[in-house]
Amino acid sequence: MAQNSQAAPRRRMSKLQRKNTLIAYSFLAPNFIGFIIITMAPILFSIVLSFINWNGGVLENMSWAGLDNFREIFTNFNFKRSDLGITLKNTVLYALATVPLTIVFALSFAMLLNKAVKGASFFRFVFFFPYVASIVAVCACWNYLLMKYGIVNTFLNSIGFNFTKSWTQSRSLAMWALIIVAVWRGAGYYMIMYIAGLQNIPNELYEAATVDGAKAFQKFWKITLPMLTPTTFFVTIMTTIQCFKVFDTVVLMTEGGPGRATKMLVNYIFDLSFNQIKYGVASAVAMVLFVVVLLITIFQFRAEKKWVNYF
Amino acid sequence: MKKIVSLLLAALLLVAMFSGASALADEKRVVKVASWDVYSTAANYHAAIKDGFEAVYPDIEIEWVDLASQDYKTLATSMLSAGDQTDVYIVKEITDLQKWADQGFLVSLDDLVAADDYNLSNYAGMDEMCRVADGTLDALPFRSDFWVLYYNKTLFDAAGIAYPTNDMTWEEYADLAKAMTSGEGIDKIYGTHYHTWLSAVVDWAVCGVDYTLADGNYDNLKYFYELYQDLEDAGACMEYGELRASGQHYTSAFYQGNIAMLPMGSWLIGTLIQEKANGTFDFDWSFASVPHMDGVAAKSSFGNMTAISISQNAANPEDAWTFIKWLAGEEGAKALAAVGTRPAYVSDAVAATYASVEGFPNDATALDALVPSSVSLEWPPGELVPQLQTVVNEEHTGIMSREYTIDEGIEYMNERAAEIIGE
Repeated sequence: MAQNSQAAPRRRMSKLQRKNTLIAYSFLAPNFIGFIIITMAPILFSIVLSFINWNGGVLENMSWAGLDNFREIFTNFNFKRSDLGITLKNTVLYALATVPLTIVFALSFAMLLNKAVKGASFFRFVFFFPYVASIVAVCACWNYLLMKYGIVNTFLNSIGFNFTKSWTQSRSLAMWALIIVAVWRGAGYYMIMYIAGLQNIPNELYEAATVDGAKAFQKFWKITLPMLTPTTFFVTIMTTIQCFKVFDTVVLMTEGGPGRATKMLVNYIFDLSFNQIKYGVASAVAMVLFVVVLLITIFQFRAEKKWVNYF
Repeated sequence: MKKIVSLLLAALLLVAMFSGASALADEKRVVKVASWDVYSTAANYHAAIKDGFEAVYPDIEIEWVDLASQDYKTLATSMLSAGDQTDVYIVKEITDLQKWADQGFLVSLDDLVAADDYNLSNYAGMDEMCRVADGTLDALPFRSDFWVLYYNKTLFDAAGIAYPTNDMTWEEYADLAKAMTSGEGIDKIYGTHYHTWLSAVVDWAVCGVDYTLADGNYDNLKYFYELYQDLEDAGACMEYGELRASGQHYTSAFYQGNIAMLPMGSWLIGTLIQEKANGTFDFDWSFASVPHMDGVAAKSSFGNMTAISISQNAANPEDAWTFIKWLAGEEGAKALAAVGTRPAYVSDAVAATYASVEGFPNDATALDALVPSSVSLEWPPGELVPQLQTVVNEEHTGIMSREYTIDEGIEYMNERAAEIIGE
């Protein structure tokens, strides 16, 4: 049967093949229909909206805006004053710190817990827990830890620092508060991926290296890291995208403040759409966000060939 | 045999279906009303409204759509724009009315008012604020709140200091707050308490003067930011940064019994009456008029009006009109007043009901404070107001957490407001 179809690839599908294809499609359909209605349609609608003047309500209220929405957000664009500039800058800074830190911590935890440590599964649970815990409760706890007289400041002051403010109420520390929570929350999840990656590395490589007299650090640098690059690549892409989508922790911890020190792109979009009810302008900002994330992802995929080893 | 059994079953099913259908036909007509805090003591009037209305109109049932208080505007706007069939929406902030009207969300009430010869003269002019830009009436005033100064009588008695009066300047108030402050640690007593909102700290600038927050200049706020920071430095109130980080609600702070004064809206009266009755706290409390600036009439306050409107997508607009007419009228006003909520409808009968609620502080100062000399709108309605609100609230957090000086913060407000207004 297989040989037959190879011999005549251009032939019309046989009845059986057509039936099989239909069966396959019918299994894909529920997922696909859901995807198209729930994900694809709103995305396309949002693209259209970014060129339309619409403040909600009946569809007759819509009028073609051309590039007006984009003009509105790019007027006086700069990184110090305009909302788009500030939120873009904040989001990028947040991502620049969160992505590498998440990777470092996730990999460290994975290295520690990959071995047959006593209670490894308990610690894996402990590190994974933040990822499944309710974000509202988690942020409330972190708010308390990072308060003026909270545990963190008390500890830091006892070893000689001088922290006199709640972290979330300081322009310089509020961003770090968000970054710490993001890393703390994400590290456990990506740790699981790294553990899977580590377990896929063939033991023979390490044995051969031991025979050749390689030290632990050399093994890590020459074997572990290169063999983990597919995982690292995946983790980088996922954390980057998540960083650009950050919203919940900002609302729960800093509300974008003090001033606009931690206002992120998505908070800006939210404010435009639901406080100011300017859906068109909000969609234009969403398009900017989309393009930024797209460019970064394309760049990462381009760079992939240079540093990712598939084995 | 089997056939007979299955036939019987089918017959039974049919009977059941028809009886179900007839039950449906008998069911009351439902008016769905979007509100917030429906099942919380923070807004304890919902049961009173439902019971009061259904007693008069037994064939109509009120069904609450409970939305989260903080996100009410967002959720209600989404529901309206999505065409949800909820009949009645409470307009939590009057500034939203224009937005909703612009989008054609609401039914114009002019024809209904004319057809029923409905009397609009009992709202002390507040019905004018329910008229949107093109002059149509899109809502009826329902509650009207203004800010008063609550105080803990027990603390004042213990300190042997005279209660706040209805004629204090802000300086006198600040001195009083400092005088009431004492103790350390768990014995600490705070002279006053500022909730984190912009309104609790600086909106006093609009009281009794010809100035609104939509004017685009915020120099007038400087006096109140300085007053606040002076009190914070003196330890006479809790620190803003701590309140923000802990997210403590002003009610839970006040219930602890270590706060002498609390400027807050009159909506708190009903809550305090109920929570005291529930045993949440056991100190005595009352309220006075908010302080005033030098040269401004005493008893000037600012406030907000809550209105009630009918959605363009209402499933049951006729009964919705019956409901809002009742709620905004004298009967509804009495139902609200009976649980300590201040209705927008003004009449002697309503005022008497309001003051006779069990647990209402019946001292002469409080009764006198119920009649402010003027109530300015917190934010006037206007197209640019939502944008200005965002700007002022953002810079407010910067000033309050002392990340920049008052002058810098106000300069940012002015600059950004100028950009918005200039556009």
